[in-house]
Amino acid sequence: MRRRQLLKALGLGALASVLPRGRIARADEVAFPSRIVFFVTPHGHIPKGWNIDIPGASANAYAERSLVEMSEANFSEGLRPFYAYRDRMLAIEGLSHTSVLADIAEIGRTTGDANNHSVSVAGLLTGSRALQRSGSPCSGGIRSIDQEIAARTSAPGRFGSRVYGFDYVPNQTVAPFSFLGAGQATPSVADPQTAFADLMGFVKPSTTGPLSREQTIATLRPSVLDTAAREYELLAPQLGAEGKRKLDAHRALVRDLELGLGTGLTAKCDPSFDANGHQVVQFMRLIKLAFSCDLTRVATFVCPVPETTELGYPADATMHGTYAHGSIENATACGAPYTLTAERAMIDLDKWHAAHLMELLNGLDSILEGSGTVLDHTVVVWLTELGTPTHQHHDAPVVMIGGCNGAFQTGRYVRYPRNLPNPMKGFPLTGPAHNRLHVSLLKAMGQPDTRFGMANATAADGTTLSFQGPLRELHKAV
Amino acid sequence: MSALHRSKRFVIGLAALAGIVGASCYAAPEPKDAAPTGPGPAPLRRLSNTEYLNALHDTFPALAPVLPILPADALVAGFENAAEAQEPSDVRIARYEAIANLYAEGATQDTAAVVALTGCADITTAGTQSACASTFIDTMGARLFRRPVSAAEHDRFTLRFQAFQAAVDFEGAVRLTLSAMLQSPQFLYRPEAVPRDRANGAVVAVEAYAMASRLSFFLWESVPDQTLLDAAAKNELSTVAQIRDQATRMLADDRARRVFWSFHRQWLGLDRILGDEHGVRTPEVDPSWSTATQASVSKESQLFVENVLMGGGSFRDLLLSRRAFLDTEMARLYGVPLPTDAAPWSEVALPETERAGLLTRASFLAALSHRGATSPPIRGNSLQLRVLCKVPMSPPANADLSQPMAAPGSGPQTNRVLFETRTASSTCQTCHVNLNGFGFGFESYDAAAHFQRMDNGIAVDATGAIHGTDVNAKFDGAVDLSERLSKSTDVHQCATSQWVRYAFGRETTDAEAKLVTDLSKSFFTSGGDVRALLADIVTAPSFRLRRVEEN
Repeated sequence: MRRRQLLKALGLGALASVLPRGRIARADEVAFPSRIVFFVTPHGHIPKGWNIDIPGASANAYAERSLVEMSEANFSEGLRPFYAYRDRMLAIEGLSHTSVLADIAEIGRTTGDANNHSVSVAGLLTGSRALQRSGSPCSGGIRSIDQEIAARTSAPGRFGSRVYGFDYVPNQTVAPFSFLGAGQATPSVADPQTAFADLMGFVKPSTTGPLSREQTIATLRPSVLDTAAREYELLAPQLGAEGKRKLDAHRALVRDLELGLGTGLTAKCDPSFDANGHQVVQFMRLIKLAFSCDLTRVATFVCPVPETTELGYPADATMHGTYAHGSIENATACGAPYTLTAERAMIDLDKWHAAHLMELLNGLDSILEGSGTVLDHTVVVWLTELGTPTHQHHDAPVVMIGGCNGAFQTGRYVRYPRNLPNPMKGFPLTGPAHNRLHVSLLKAMGQPDTRFGMANATAADGTTLSFQGPLRELHKAV
Repeated sequence: MSALHRSKRFVIGLAALAGIVGASCYAAPEPKDAAPTGPGPAPLRRLSNTEYLNALHDTFPALAPVLPILPADALVAGFENAAEAQEPSDVRIARYEAIANLYAEGATQDTAAVVALTGCADITTAGTQSACASTFIDTMGARLFRRPVSAAEHDRFTLRFQAFQAAVDFEGAVRLTLSAMLQSPQFLYRPEAVPRDRANGAVVAVEAYAMASRLSFFLWESVPDQTLLDAAAKNELSTVAQIRDQATRMLADDRARRVFWSFHRQWLGLDRILGDEHGVRTPEVDPSWSTATQASVSKESQLFVENVLMGGGSFRDLLLSRRAFLDTEMARLYGVPLPTDAAPWSEVALPETERAGLLTRASFLAALSHRGATSPPIRGNSLQLRVLCKVPMSPPANADLSQPMAAPGSGPQTNRVLFETRTASSTCQTCHVNLNGFGFGFESYDAAAHFQRMDNGIAVDATGAIHGTDVNAKFDGAVDLSERLSKSTDVHQCATSQWVRYAFGRETTDAEAKLVTDLSKSFFTSGGDVRALLADIVTAPSFRLRRVEEN
């Protein structure tokens, strides 16, 4: 019986909903794999609608507040949708996309596409300098964090990752966020039916009795792949170094697919899919399906910017052009005037994203696994392209929900002080670099790395900013 | 320094933070490393998605299976065939497998299909089946690999064929072997044989069959035909005259329309209108605009480019011709009556004073507009970037990119005046003197590309100024602008450099700069003869020669 159900049976249901979670599995319990979801949304949060006050705490020092003891009414509007998961939640205020700031500062000293959106998109999951190509928007300069984890957790019969979602098109640049390597966007599937077919491609048909001719042919798919893979092995050595590298990479992926088909689906999961409802909701179901069948342990989803009408705003407005830049009082971007309507629109956008993310959280929490649920062994990380919709990078709130096998001390609102110099001259002080969050995520996924992306950067005042080490406060024991 | 870092880059927007007055708006070319003379690198090229799908279509013309969507080719400077950006991914490999299986299944769906595919009259006995398998591997392999199958390849595929036949049956073995070939590197990539007895770095002629593929994938975006393969077999693709003859033949073939459209689509972004953000226009701009309009807009440009160039027209005609192929939706957008009995996509002449070539068509004008308003800077920027090859700097970080609105109480104003006011400061003018100079010339076309004489109740002023070219002048309207640009050597130089980049699948090297200049001079002198330019490109040393590369 699940712990929560047990407590409810004992008449302790109220307590059950607020127990701090995320402890390591008991020694007698089977270890369950850790999974991670990157839920990425364009723009950023509105501090006024997202931040939670920490009474009595100084802004100049690290501070935290227990979410478990808070009432729903005291939650900020942006975080309130997650109230039911407050025991397994970490809300982090004060992180900075410092690598993006450092990159923009460096582009200023050299050349390149310095568009705030392009550089953010390139840097959010890479924490690295962007790759600049002549006449093209910049793109990721290294393998992104999701693909790094994917590369280390993939196995025969299991996709390294699934990347789903939509291109975000501000100023008509394409924004993929996830990269296989420098300048190589990870292919993203934007059609739920195709994504479902991809997942089921690994599922062996259940058969009893002799195979039909078509079934026999289907069982030979790995053999066909092996035939092709052999051709790559033989041709590659005849080519120049770059050609050989390309064919070797191709061959490795053919072998992966071959092994995947040969392995088949072993998990006790329900490979069905409800293709109704909003596309975003369908993708949330697909991630749930992929995790429940252990078809992958890493998922990245890039949320679309909805049409304004979806949020009840006029059809001739756009979230980006009409509202984003004027949504924060005294901190507007691009000369746009601040309006209450713009602020409200961007808070509503946040809530729209949160409501869809809840579909995933509820889905993962509905799958029993050991004495808990899949959500207890997962961390869902909500990252935003910019810190706020007004093009700033130095203050980027993060929401993480899920037990992740006890990797994080959840149930808290965590606030970092902004006391580090900024790589951009004349820009505000910052909190820790988001590279260190990536290190923490690697740590949560069992990886020993002490850095990810840039190791350090130089602030405008000449100070060296170190991006190394995890954010210890997220992991510390109570 | 790597090739990637040798490329020109954007000058940045951050400069605005420190004040950019006096700064150049364009990226200064970075000094490149001293490059060796002779042909530039010949990186291994994968078939682009367009080439891959064309190759399948041309090899199996009777089949049209419903295919899963391939991951998009990574764009470099707008182009889909840049070798440097062709990395594989798990999704791409899965799509290749699915598509190979679909074609293999379709091509072997019954005995008659297998007979047609293999060309074997008799496949009823073990003996005839064995002989047929051998023939099939050689003939299908030669078509897919674009060269004779080697003895080693023949043996490998024969062994697999036999194993498949043992597991299923003869027809199943044809199907599975075909699927394996369609997933092999000899089909999906374009490996080029080089002589083994030459030193690393030695310059050699491109091997005959590789030359056939170079020609066909450039000029047809697909596999070589039998004539090309026969010429390769006779080693008749080596002299300039031989190659020029083939190019002339190929450019007269209907398959050449593919490269004409693909190149211009990618260079000028003529399919950009298909993006989701263009699914809507505000009711004030066009209450009838729909997703069907998007498709019509792109199709109109495709038919225009293909028909002009297939009909012997020139690059200048692409800028100037009033020929148009319209359906009812495009006739509505352009305000042109169609004959009542007109077939879909009938040819009509557009009004002489309102429109000319591509720069006055909806695929350019509407795709570079917002849903409710035009953006002269976006139109001007795209013209500079694409048509003049001037890589612009990013807008400053604090630039106001929102749609400018008239101040309350100021009365109606034209879009042009609003942008003039917004960009009036000397800081803005550093770049906007150019951006607006071009962009204001397009104000006779609204965000849905309708021709307009009035904007917000005020007469449109579409005068502009060309800066930074060999044809600097004031002009009035986009038709006038098109005529002036059609006489620009800079524009021809830009078009040539993009054609060369497209042909090579990479940026040119310093050593190839003179080649591009010479080609562009001929292109200009010929009056923009695209066919002659392509024939010049395929007979240039960088296309005919390559270096021996060892790993």
